[in-house]
Amino acid sequence: MALLMGVLWPLEKLNDVLLAIGRVLALTALMVMVCFIVYQIFMRLFFDAPNWTEEGARFLMLWMTGLIAPLAYRQGGFVAIDMLERALPHILATILSLILLTCAMAVIWTCANLGWENVNSFTGRGSSASLRLPLDWFGGERIKFKNSWAFASLFVGFCLLVLVNIELLLRQVISLLGGADRLKPMEDAGPID
Amino acid sequence: MLIWFLPVFLVLLMIGLPVVFGLLLAPGALLVLEGQERDLAVLYRNLYNGIDSFPLMALPFFMLAGEIMNRGGITIRLVEFSQAIMGHLRGGLAHVNILSSILFAGLSGSAVADTSALGSTLIPAMEKNGYTRRFAAAITAASSVIGPIIPPSGIMIIYAYVMGESVAALFLAGIVPGILVGVGLMVMVRLMADGYDLPPAQRVVHDNQTISPIEYYSSLILIRLTFGFFLFRVIGGFAGMFGDDANGLMNFALFAACTVSVDLLLRQYRNRVSQDFRYVCKKAVAPLLTPVIILGGILGGFMTPTEASVIAVVYALFVSFFVLSSMKLADLPSIFARSALASSAVLLLVGAAVSFKTVVALSGAPQILADFILSLSENPLILLLLINLLLFVVGMFLDAGPAIIILGPILGPIFVDLGVHPVHFAIIMSVNLTVGLATPPMGLVLFVAASVSREKVETIAKAILPFLAVEILVIFLITYFPAISMTVPRLTGFVQ
Repeated sequence: MALLMGVLWPLEKLNDVLLAIGRVLALTALMVMVCFIVYQIFMRLFFDAPNWTEEGARFLMLWMTGLIAPLAYRQGGFVAIDMLERALPHILATILSLILLTCAMAVIWTCANLGWENVNSFTGRGSSASLRLPLDWFGGERIKFKNSWAFASLFVGFCLLVLVNIELLLRQVISLLGGADRLKPMEDAGPID
Repeated sequence: MLIWFLPVFLVLLMIGLPVVFGLLLAPGALLVLEGQERDLAVLYRNLYNGIDSFPLMALPFFMLAGEIMNRGGITIRLVEFSQAIMGHLRGGLAHVNILSSILFAGLSGSAVADTSALGSTLIPAMEKNGYTRRFAAAITAASSVIGPIIPPSGIMIIYAYVMGESVAALFLAGIVPGILVGVGLMVMVRLMADGYDLPPAQRVVHDNQTISPIEYYSSLILIRLTFGFFLFRVIGGFAGMFGDDANGLMNFALFAACTVSVDLLLRQYRNRVSQDFRYVCKKAVAPLLTPVIILGGILGGFMTPTEASVIAVVYALFVSFFVLSSMKLADLPSIFARSALASSAVLLLVGAAVSFKTVVALSGAPQILADFILSLSENPLILLLLINLLLFVVGMFLDAGPAIIILGPILGPIFVDLGVHPVHFAIIMSVNLTVGLATPPMGLVLFVAASVSREKVETIAKAILPFLAVEILVIFLITYFPAISMTVPRLTGFVQ
């Protein structure tokens, strides 16, 4: 038990920090998405529509999803029918929960691997048609956005989901071994609004 | 063998695996068992492409606009406005609850937001006015299902995206059914009012209402311009003034005349009501213009639904900061974070649904299901009845969004082949599954209403039954009278 608690504690702290950073970046991405589309509407109505705003907003939406979806998962924000789990006695419910988390891990792990392959794929090495990093504002050269920069969003998201899922698995194992009262309530874990 | 993905998925769902993982695991595991591991990459790419979509971006933006409006303190203004309009009737606060839900639906596409925002204000007020807590919670939960039916609607954006339909057409098709649910509930309240001795309420709760000069004048101008514009479009439409040879000066003159006429009419009316009543109405003008801006922008061809959703965000920010002065800059990070959090879970779900849809098509499941359904009956009316029963049962256990994501790609093509218009079928699914949000045992809004009212779910579930009966009746009306949902999109040219 002490060993499991010893593994869980740093993992919880790591997830707290990573998900807090992810949350700030995701909310910033949403703010910038709003600005991009407002700029697009303004320019389309009064001047020429810019060709990069739509792609830029999609890029940010992907990163927003990748960075904050793991926090939603940690807080139980992924829709599930949990009637069976609630109807079972504590021990059986914990075992079922372990099975479900293992199934989830299989999906998340596979997606993380496929995400990494996608980042390093031939398409990933290609460049965006319209998105440029405006380094010319600072005297440098404009750099084309690589497709892999967008592909990395879901890869990062699934990596964070792996960490969250391991934390949830550890919590269920500790709970199964009778240490549920030693666990920090999930409501206190990580940044919550 | 791939056809087994559907039963495997259902088993995973029933034992409690999150829907997003079930949508990926069931087809993925069968692909691996069939030795088609290479196709997993296709599943993943569809998941990515499913999220990487501009039309889908309307979803986080509408969620954000609703969140801003909610936190900006507009709920209380809508409730006071509804009370000024309907509070004096028998069962006044129950009517106010329903009307507030209809108005709130134009700002937020979520039944849960509706229940929690209106419930926390209206349930205590109704109790104080002599209603039982269970009745107050039941009417709040029952009327909140109007939220996702009247535009903007999160589930309709999802349906339109997954099934390749027009968001604008679905939005327009939802208006009349949403209002019909509201009117049906009001009729039921009126019928119950005598038996349960439901009291009327005061029209204006707080005397000596005040309003800031900015809000006073902005409401005064906005209401005249909006009604003036409506009048201008109606008269101009009848007079054929909007053709290719439209005269700009004539149009401007007509618009000015319409606005002045509206001003004169309103001046006539203002003497008949109290100053408090007028101030309550004025304070609701800015929030109530949100749906007008959204639908006006889309219908007028100025904006796509995604752009309209951003304009709704900007407008909500403008109203909250400068008109209502009810929000501080420090509130923004938490509002944006909550919207990002809620929308990320839905976006991932939609991406998984796009993957799932690919496997649905490859497996031939719709054809097998179509053969099975057609073996039951070839009469579309009977099949629609059966499908409504199926949707209702599914809605009891699953949220509307995931249910639409799972069932849309399977059932949609079958009924379109049978001659049901895709937009009509979308509305049948949306309304039916949305009503499921208020049905036991897993109705999400029942749980929210229980938490807001501190009443037991079982008690609310019993009290809600008369209202559910009304909603089921409306579902059948929508199903068998397509004109209810199809007239508005047809008249506006969004459906042929």
